[in-house]
Amino acid sequence: MAAGASARCLSVRGALRLPLRCRWAGVCEPERGCRFYSKSAALPKDEGTDVTGIEQVVIPKKKTWDKVAVLQALASTVNRDPTAVPYTFQDDPYLIPTSSVESRSFLLAKKSGENAAKFIINSHPKYFQKDIAEPHIPCLMPEYFEPQIEDVSEAALKERIKLKKVKAAVDMFDQLLQAGTAVSLETTNSLLDLLCYYGDQEPPADFYFQQTEKSEELEQTTEENNKRASVKAAHQAGVTWKARNNAERIFALMPEKTARSYCTMIRGMVKHRAYAQALDLYTELLNSRLRADVHTFNALIEARALMANEKFEEKWNGMLELLKHMSVQKVKPNLQTFNTLLKCLRRFHAFGRMPALQTLREMKAIGIEPSLATYHHIIQVFYQPGSSAKAPSLIIYDIVNELAGKAFSPKDLDDDMFFQSAMSVCSSLRDLELAYEVHGLLNTGDNRKFIGPDLRRNFYYSKFFGLLCLMEHIDVTLKWYKDLIPSVFFPHSQVLIGLLQALDVANRLEVIPQIWKDSKEYGHTYRSNLREEILMLMARDKHPAELQAAFADCAADIRSTYESQEARQTAPDWPATPLNCVAILLLRAGRTQEAWRMLGLFRKHNKIPRNELLREFMDSAKESSSPAQALEVVRLASAFSLPICEELTQRVMADFAISAEQKEALGHLAALSSDSDSDSSDGDSSDGDSTKGR
Amino acid sequence: GEWAVRVVPWSRELPGAWRALHTSAVCAKNRAARVRVGKGDKPVTYEEAHPPHYIAHRKGWLSLHTGNLDGEEHAAERTVEDFFLRKFMLGTFPGCLADQLVLKRRANQVEICALVLRQLPAHKFYFLVGYSETLLSHFYKCPVRLHLQTVPAKVVYKYI
Repeated sequence: MAAGASARCLSVRGALRLPLRCRWAGVCEPERGCRFYSKSAALPKDEGTDVTGIEQVVIPKKKTWDKVAVLQALASTVNRDPTAVPYTFQDDPYLIPTSSVESRSFLLAKKSGENAAKFIINSHPKYFQKDIAEPHIPCLMPEYFEPQIEDVSEAALKERIKLKKVKAAVDMFDQLLQAGTAVSLETTNSLLDLLCYYGDQEPPADFYFQQTEKSEELEQTTEENNKRASVKAAHQAGVTWKARNNAERIFALMPEKTARSYCTMIRGMVKHRAYAQALDLYTELLNSRLRADVHTFNALIEARALMANEKFEEKWNGMLELLKHMSVQKVKPNLQTFNTLLKCLRRFHAFGRMPALQTLREMKAIGIEPSLATYHHIIQVFYQPGSSAKAPSLIIYDIVNELAGKAFSPKDLDDDMFFQSAMSVCSSLRDLELAYEVHGLLNTGDNRKFIGPDLRRNFYYSKFFGLLCLMEHIDVTLKWYKDLIPSVFFPHSQVLIGLLQALDVANRLEVIPQIWKDSKEYGHTYRSNLREEILMLMARDKHPAELQAAFADCAADIRSTYESQEARQTAPDWPATPLNCVAILLLRAGRTQEAWRMLGLFRKHNKIPRNELLREFMDSAKESSSPAQALEVVRLASAFSLPICEELTQRVMADFAISAEQKEALGHLAALSSDSDSDSSDGDSSDGDSTKGR
Repeated sequence: GEWAVRVVPWSRELPGAWRALHTSAVCAKNRAARVRVGKGDKPVTYEEAHPPHYIAHRKGWLSLHTGNLDGEEHAAERTVEDFFLRKFMLGTFPGCLADQLVLKRRANQVEICALVLRQLPAHKFYFLVGYSETLLSHFYKCPVRLHLQTVPAKVVYKYI
């Protein structure tokens, strides 16, 4: 309505003009100046500006915009630049990484520079005290890691707990007890928290500079296919709970134990894999008629699932028992509860499917919004890696349909594993449409954040691009190639080989020299399987002239990489296939000099030339009408005692005008080869086998 | 010469060899930010080749901040910070700086734009970038960002 439109103006204009506008509500038009940023098109203009019957003016609530609403609006107009590197790198050709190894090493170098600076700042805090920032920025002030209070008192204990000095805190606690001073319950509980969190060990040595390092170690330990969670757990909590350690001792010494003390102990035990003790302590808690909180129940569910020597049904029943206790004690479950349930169900293989669906239904019934981690666990339950070849479940389609168009916010630590597992399922099902949908979900809103760190992003995009190479039309694939590589990920050589095979199928071999040039930039210059694939594809068929010339240039380039590799290694070894291919390509493009030089290399590296190669060389010798070259070919064939030698000899006799000595030499060679043929054919064949191998 | 007579009291009678103080105003040659002309074998960059009267004509400024505008304060603090930053960068990137730094201040951030030679491998550059950004941010309590541009050698404008 015009009234509604003018009411919007009212909220812009402010309270002052309100009474004035009220009278004019019927006749004023929406002013051009008060248009907000909105994603939709212009305000709908209602019919007619004359308003008969002025209704009650309903003033809507004032909209409050986020402080950065304007910046968000501007940001939504800009897409990713496929030619740029992430902004953490310096924008300079010398400083831009060209492979994933380099990008990782640059980021680590930068981080270690920051750690060095922090070390200097914290060692000389007196130079960094001048505080000119208004308002105060606490993270730019130097930090103190050594305890200041020296006397034996509770304040000193609290300080050591805050600084996370485990051993010092325990010593201080013992000193206090010996001196007879009672330590307050609160402080004892926080000491227990510290001990249980670190499992009675000191925090890791590089704790203060940890930050992202720890998560990077975790990824290094996870394989691409997300191996069993138990391996991950073993790496994560390398500390095991020792019996009668300080935590248990202090717990026993406490005169009164609250629910919080029990809860901390239980959670610490579960974190450090003392499952049976955790469950025993829980029964003790129940006997003391105390209530556990939701985090403790989550830990207990995990403990129940990880206990050894039980069947799946018993474990599941145990977990259901705990849930019943939860409802009896009126503890509301949260997202973590359900995610823990699903994570444990992964271990139950096929048995876990029905309970997983039940859990999901329960979650929705209670009204807890599932996070990406929930769906990740469900995918893992239904699509076990290495499962049998039965018809795969179709639940992934339901999941993707449900998630379409939703933007997520981080709620669980495992949220960033969803896209990796979803894409690997798409890849194993060979479904391109689904992959597009998953990719669309990734680009909705802020979901890009959930792609995870380097390794997972590489895995996701490798699978995605591999699927594109297999199933998509080649033009579209090449467009994706330009878009994704190298700005999003550096391709593995397998990915590039997949792309080459796709080009082969689509008969677009002219792109190959470009792919080789790109591969050199991504650090694959000396990758044998890639080079051989490229050479084989180029050398297989004959092509028109310019293409052949381009192929020959590419082959010469590859040859130079082999040569430089030879120079570096002490035992140079050039495999047979590349030798063959390079020679053929050079010959076909008319670079005869180099091609004949390649022939010499066959003898040097003791590799057998193929029959087609020798025939082509014979053809070329015929074209240049040079009997000497023809003889050269025959000599080479006889040196390896190839069966084709006879055919070549006859051809030379027939096609070429050879002189008398040459005929004699031919006769010799023929005799030689036939002799050695008849003498030791076994030796020859074994010889042939060993030289054919690389 | 004889014009010294206007200052010396007129009790002087004897002409001839005598010495006087130079009491007229001194007018020394300008030496600020100028590279003296040599034999034609001294390479100079564009920055060095132009003396300061070319600023705003052929040169830009090396340090950009609003402290010198009307009504703005703390211009002197900015200048002192500039000195410290230039000295710090000179020491942290030994032998790598190809030209003077350009310092830009925007809101409360400081952006240091440096032209560096390719003396160090790239990961060492990243180490120094992380180190200087963090140290300077903690020192000045504001975000300090470093932008590097590498060149193979000093960019010579002319030889003088």
